[in-house]
Amino acid sequence: MNVAASGAGAAKIPPEAIKAIPVRHPWRWVSAVVVLAVFASVVYQIATAPRLKWDVVGEWLFHQSILNGVRVTVELTIIAMVIGVVLGALLAVMRLSANPVVSTVSWVYIWFFRGTPVLVQLFFWYNLQLVLPHISVGIPFTPAVWQADTLPLISPFLASILGLGLNEAAYMAEIVRAGIISVEQGQTEAAQALGMTRAQVMRRIVLPQAMRVIIPPTGNETISMLKTSSLAYITTVQELFRSQELIAAFNYRIVELLIVASVWYLSMTSVLTFGQYYLERYFARGSARQLPPTPLQRFRHILFQGHAPPPFPPADPLPVYPPRRDDSGQGM
Amino acid sequence: MGKQMVLSEAVHKRFGRLEVLQGIDLEVAPKEVMCLIGPSGSGKSTFLRCINHLEKIDAGRLWVDGELVGYRQQGDKLYELGDKEVCRKRSEIGMVFQRFNLFPHMSALENVIEAPVRVKGENEQVAVERGRAMLDRVGLADKIDAYPNQLSGGQQQRVAIARALAMQPKLMLFDEPTSALDPELVGDVLDVMRQLALDGMTMVVVTHEMGFAREVGDSLVFMDSGIIVEAGKPRDMLANPQHERTKLFLSKVL
Ligand SMILES: Nc1ncnc2c1ncn2[C@@H]1O[C@H](COP(=O)(O)OP(=O)(O)OP(=O)(O)O)[C@@H](O)[C@H]1O
Ligand SMILES: [Mg+2]
Repeated sequence: MNVAASGAGAAKIPPEAIKAIPVRHPWRWVSAVVVLAVFASVVYQIATAPRLKWDVVGEWLFHQSILNGVRVTVELTIIAMVIGVVLGALLAVMRLSANPVVSTVSWVYIWFFRGTPVLVQLFFWYNLQLVLPHISVGIPFTPAVWQADTLPLISPFLASILGLGLNEAAYMAEIVRAGIISVEQGQTEAAQALGMTRAQVMRRIVLPQAMRVIIPPTGNETISMLKTSSLAYITTVQELFRSQELIAAFNYRIVELLIVASVWYLSMTSVLTFGQYYLERYFARGSARQLPPTPLQRFRHILFQGHAPPPFPPADPLPVYPPRRDDSGQGM
Repeated sequence: MGKQMVLSEAVHKRFGRLEVLQGIDLEVAPKEVMCLIGPSGSGKSTFLRCINHLEKIDAGRLWVDGELVGYRQQGDKLYELGDKEVCRKRSEIGMVFQRFNLFPHMSALENVIEAPVRVKGENEQVAVERGRAMLDRVGLADKIDAYPNQLSGGQQQRVAIARALAMQPKLMLFDEPTSALDPELVGDVLDVMRQLALDGMTMVVVTHEMGFAREVGDSLVFMDSGIIVEAGKPRDMLANPQHERTKLFLSKVL
């Protein structure tokens, strides 16, 4: 009855492609013009600021001491992030451990290092020799196995690494932990049922799946670390920020040199953003039916189609199945 | 204890105060297909999980192929088995879950060869060879490179069966393998299981598919609140249940 009626109705519609006049969006144009005008005026004022010497910016942009600063900043970022990721992963596993002592130690670490400003921690490592002239390694209350003077040992570079890396580990621990617990319990169970050991389950099954959750915030942390590393200037380590400051201190071109530093920070974070994108694509394997377009594909699409592509293309080459019926309450 | 594949004597399992298994006695002979039925929460899944030591039992004894599950007995003392030993024993028992639990970051073939390569240390070439054969056996020769989310539920469950079979287990445990499937996909999975039974695999199957239990099952066990209420030949039991609780349950599912 109903079916027949709609069938008859459908038969009357000619099976041609629809040629309709598209809806106009005048306000889109208005808002675009307003935003562009404001943007242009800001850029114009800065670019033509009477006392801003752009040639000074150009002159220092590739100066050797700035380039050295860039190198140190990159080194600090990489080493601090490596420490952060490795120690963070360890802390995350410790936090999830069944051993209450181990998990409490991890909790206290995270509590302490997240609860104090990274600037304070950097100062602390830099000034460690004030309270601890010698550092020794060994069993408490027995002669030390190894001992050294704090001052030459904790160089400004090492103090920066410790300050940034140990702080980062606390944040990474939480990120890794969130990743691990995001993996369904059934995965661990299936792997165990196949006879895999705890370590194998973690390495082969849980961590690769946790990566999907871990990678995006880790990318953000790395980008953030690149900028946070500028705080290490207080340890006198000559990274990018301190390098430009030393120059500005004698030529008084403070804003110009800040622009130099910003150009470098911006370029480096842009490169990282790009890299993060491809990393995320790689780890999305098997979770998205179709990968989102790359920035290059998006750019081409905008160029040729005049609008941005949807984040996930609707065209699906694979059959879509209806969602699974799952009627067991907890089906263990 | 010599000739049974599974032997369970007074197996008890508690979760906190909740006594989930209250003395389970049963035997599964080699090549036998035992179907386990019972209302939700009666402890069917828990018992299956005890068989491959995903859960520790609190009392009683459980043997698989003549060996104690999870323990080693010397004299009258029990020694808990180490991780490695437990893993080795699990690797000889295949398990299929209601929700498939395929590894989503691996293709069908990778899912199937993962354990043979990592757990048994099998040569990758050999494992791939057999992996293909296993996927062919469950009718998925053309889905070797598909990721789980590109497969229908029925196909995923068949990959999961192939994954378990690739370890060449001596015993297969099925926990409601078709309960999460759309009705039209159930048949494919049951066909694979039927063929497996014909090939002589020892199977313990928790299921609500009474047709399967009747045709393929050698024995049928009805569990309720942690005990075995009734056991027997599927045909007899389904046609003529003896206990009130069995009658009530069957009247609801048949
Ligand atoms: N890990 C656990 N911790 C606490 N209680 C649990 C746990 N696993 C199972 N239970 C409880 O044990 C009882 C038996 O659960 P089980 O999963 O074995 O039932 P089932 O017979 O398989 O039911 P279903 O048909 O719904 O799958 C339930 O009451 C359940 O809540
Ligand atoms: Mg169950």
